Amino acid sequence: MNQPRDRVSVTFELNGLKVEREIPVRQLLVDFLRDDLGLTATRVGCEQGVCGSCTVMLDGVSVRSCLMFAVQVDGSEVRTVEGLAHGAVMHPLQQAFWDNHALQCGFCTSGFLMTALDLIEHRAEPDDKEIRNALSGNLCRCTGYANIVTAVQVALAQKR
Amino acid sequence: MSTTPGTTAKFIGASVRRLEDPRVLLGRTRYVDDVRLPNCLSIAFARSKFAHARIFSVDCEAARRAPGVHAVLVASDLEGLLPVLRVEHDPAVPVPPCRTVLWPVLASGKTRFVGEAIAAVVADSRALAEDAAALIKIEYQELDPVIDLERAAAPGSPLVHDEWPDNIFQHVEVSLGDVEDAFRRADLVVSESFRTGRHLALPMEGRGIAASWDGATQTLTVWASTQMLFVLRAEIGRILNLPEHAIRVISTDVGGGFGLKAHVFPEELMVPALARRLDRPVEWIEDRREHLAASQHAKDQIVRAELALAKDGTMLGLRTHVMCDIGAYTEYPWRTFEANVTAMAMPGPYKIRAYAYDTLSIATNKCSVGAYRGVGQPIGVMVLERLIDIAARQLHIDRAELRLRNMIATDEHPYQGIHGLEIESGSHRESLLKALQMIDAGGIAKRQSESRLRGRRRGLGMASYIEMTAPSTQLWQALGPAGSGSQPAMIRMETDGTVTVAIGTNTQGQSHETTFAQIAADRLGLPMSAVRVVQGDTSSTPRGWFVGGSNSAVTTGGAVLRAAEMVRANLLRAVSLMNEIPFANLDLRDSFICMKDDGARITSIADAANATWLKKMNIPPDEDLTLEITARYEPPPATHSNASHVAEVEVDIETGQVEILRYVVVEDCGTILNPMVVDGQIQGGVAQGIGSVLYEEIIYDNQGRLLTTNLTDYLAPTAAVVPTVEIAHIETPSPYTLGGMKGMGEGGTIAPPAAIANAIAHALDEFSPRVNRIPLTPERILAIIDRAV
Repeated sequence: MNQPRDRVSVTFELNGLKVEREIPVRQLLVDFLRDDLGLTATRVGCEQGVCGSCTVMLDGVSVRSCLMFAVQVDGSEVRTVEGLAHGAVMHPLQQAFWDNHALQCGFCTSGFLMTALDLIEHRAEPDDKEIRNALSGNLCRCTGYANIVTAVQVALAQKR
Repeated sequence: MSTTPGTTAKFIGASVRRLEDPRVLLGRTRYVDDVRLPNCLSIAFARSKFAHARIFSVDCEAARRAPGVHAVLVASDLEGLLPVLRVEHDPAVPVPPCRTVLWPVLASGKTRFVGEAIAAVVADSRALAEDAAALIKIEYQELDPVIDLERAAAPGSPLVHDEWPDNIFQHVEVSLGDVEDAFRRADLVVSESFRTGRHLALPMEGRGIAASWDGATQTLTVWASTQMLFVLRAEIGRILNLPEHAIRVISTDVGGGFGLKAHVFPEELMVPALARRLDRPVEWIEDRREHLAASQHAKDQIVRAELALAKDGTMLGLRTHVMCDIGAYTEYPWRTFEANVTAMAMPGPYKIRAYAYDTLSIATNKCSVGAYRGVGQPIGVMVLERLIDIAARQLHIDRAELRLRNMIATDEHPYQGIHGLEIESGSHRESLLKALQMIDAGGIAKRQSESRLRGRRRGLGMASYIEMTAPSTQLWQALGPAGSGSQPAMIRMETDGTVTVAIGTNTQGQSHETTFAQIAADRLGLPMSAVRVVQGDTSSTPRGWFVGGSNSAVTTGGAVLRAAEMVRANLLRAVSLMNEIPFANLDLRDSFICMKDDGARITSIADAANATWLKKMNIPPDEDLTLEITARYEPPPATHSNASHVAEVEVDIETGQVEILRYVVVEDCGTILNPMVVDGQIQGGVAQGIGSVLYEEIIYDNQGRLLTTNLTDYLAPTAAVVPTVEIAHIETPSPYTLGGMKGMGEGGTIAPPAAIANAIAHALDEFSPRVNRIPLTPERILAIIDRAV
């Protein structure tokens, strides 16, 4: 009888770099990113997929890294906030968040950036309601959202 | 409009972009869980499944044998490690007396709420600790739970604390002015009973703490998610019997606090105790389930109130009876002040000269209730503003007119408030009139008709308040949590002319690193890039108190101003000596020391600073011209911001859904340091207020079982439902604070329950609604309509 394996070898691309690791099968993607790779921008807010603080991009689509096992990213491409800027030059979304005071405590910010990234990479001209609906899967307790919506609008306008 | 750091424009009053943002946006923060300590062990707790039960036995054998487990502790293992926490009346300070609460770090003998920690498991990782905690077998015998607030207060109730004769933690009775006479003279008395839901602050980062013991130096380093690092340090020292000088608390990035983190929790004492005993770093990072069950809830009250008025609308007197469900243990180390703040939030901006209140703080088998943004103020304001609307309807006086007739006028300041505190200045009538104008209150009838054509009901609601900000030592004592109102700041101008500002508190997102740099840069004639604010580390900052009560702009801001003035004076005196120019003729401007009259430059600030430190030229060696100065600032006995909020809502009477169409705030917090930051605080505060009035409720069933254990059951408002708030400012500087600031961090949260409840009542006017219970969920809205039909 085969013993269940508790570690699996995984290869994937993270922020443009190849990663090869033996990963415990029960480890969540967010814990792997934070604890094993030291990429702490991706945050744990609820461990239930509701708050969106752990949002990352997986093969170009935003996903909840607290609802995935790390081994599921085998063969995929993962982007986190650490891969958004080019050196010290912020991504237009990061710059728009800074310019428009779209963050206060900052704990939820990475999740909002990745959700917004999904929106601006996939939607040409979302209206205010569409932006708000897209962001409604992420919780922010400080800002009341208005400046986050503005920041996303500014980043969208720059893209056009 | 943003002003870019690096220019020497006047920064106070400018929307300077935040200095703290780049590190957050680039993902380089240091929240507690981002700190990586080598060989760190992790704690998970086995928590009570029952609200009220005897604990017969706790079998930890299987947990102790589980993989990766280093220790398992139950209450009996804490002897010599951690004492039972005591919340008790301190006769040395004039606070309202209260009963002594004994709060065991791990439940001992019996458990008093669902989620109370009974055993702690220390393991190599949180996952292994949780695995082992699940193996702990606890034998309980259920006791009658104390759940309903009114029954808990009644004689014969089962007891939460067996050593008490009843469940009353505190009873306060106050009568101000001739209340009997006011009610005797009244032409109309309106009364209502209100019930406010239990909710919580819900910072996106939960609680968390990590600690490391250094056996060589016998010192402890603690990383904490807190609003009061020096208070936490003092408590750790007291409880662990360690000198405070041997403890360093670091709290540089905190993922939101809103009052919840202005407490010390049992878990926060256990982690350093275990780090010391095991001689290994230990951490505990709260998960969301623990946060909802066992952190700190808020605002669970019943308020009965009566307002006495004359025919012409003059408000003559007010009576309130406040009951607050404070849960099992109240708030450590502050006792409780929720109910008293509710009572003291009234009569706000209205000139009522007779007011009697009593407050009852009642223990139940629920999670403890403590500070959350505004504390009792949102409730007090809702109670009074609802009564005013009810009275206006019965007196056939316009709602706004009734308010305006009773508000303190600008020229009546300083106004002797009924609570014995002078209300120094304000713009009550102006703010309400401006808010009504912004929302076009005159056009509401027409807009209501349009909504009606679409089968909806539209309403407009208003609320005004005075916020007691920046509590002084005297006010903190009156409210309950005895402590100092003063805050420090250290300013050091370095030898290159750059400046370090060290403050005694830390930020939870309020922009302290930017706003305090603005003050220092302005006073020292430097660009923002020349100033760095250091915060959140007890080893490199002066001893502060805590962030709360909208105090920082006034208290820490005042200390920064004072320290900056002193450094400025010393630098100018040095330049005066070196250059033989009268002190009074010198000024600091654009990184240079210059002549006050024509701006002619004498020397750069960098050269002057260097020369001053090195005592060059004509400075006598014994001349004390230090450029490193710590100043403290105690605010005036009371400081008051004011605001008016007006909401326009639409109610779908088929579904009970409420949509907020527009939300207007006109606020006056005195001198505005950074309008962008002030607007951000208002928008965020209003969002939390919307949550409390429409969505958020912690629900226990009648056995005390917690039904809202995750964020799908507990609804926090999202971007889809929070409107962009329209904000205007009136700036009436405080005549008494340094800089004229008044403080406003909590303000946005205070009026939404009142304004939105009033708007909903207005929308549903045809149903003669009793809008007296929040949150106003769709079910409750439909019940209001059904009762009338």
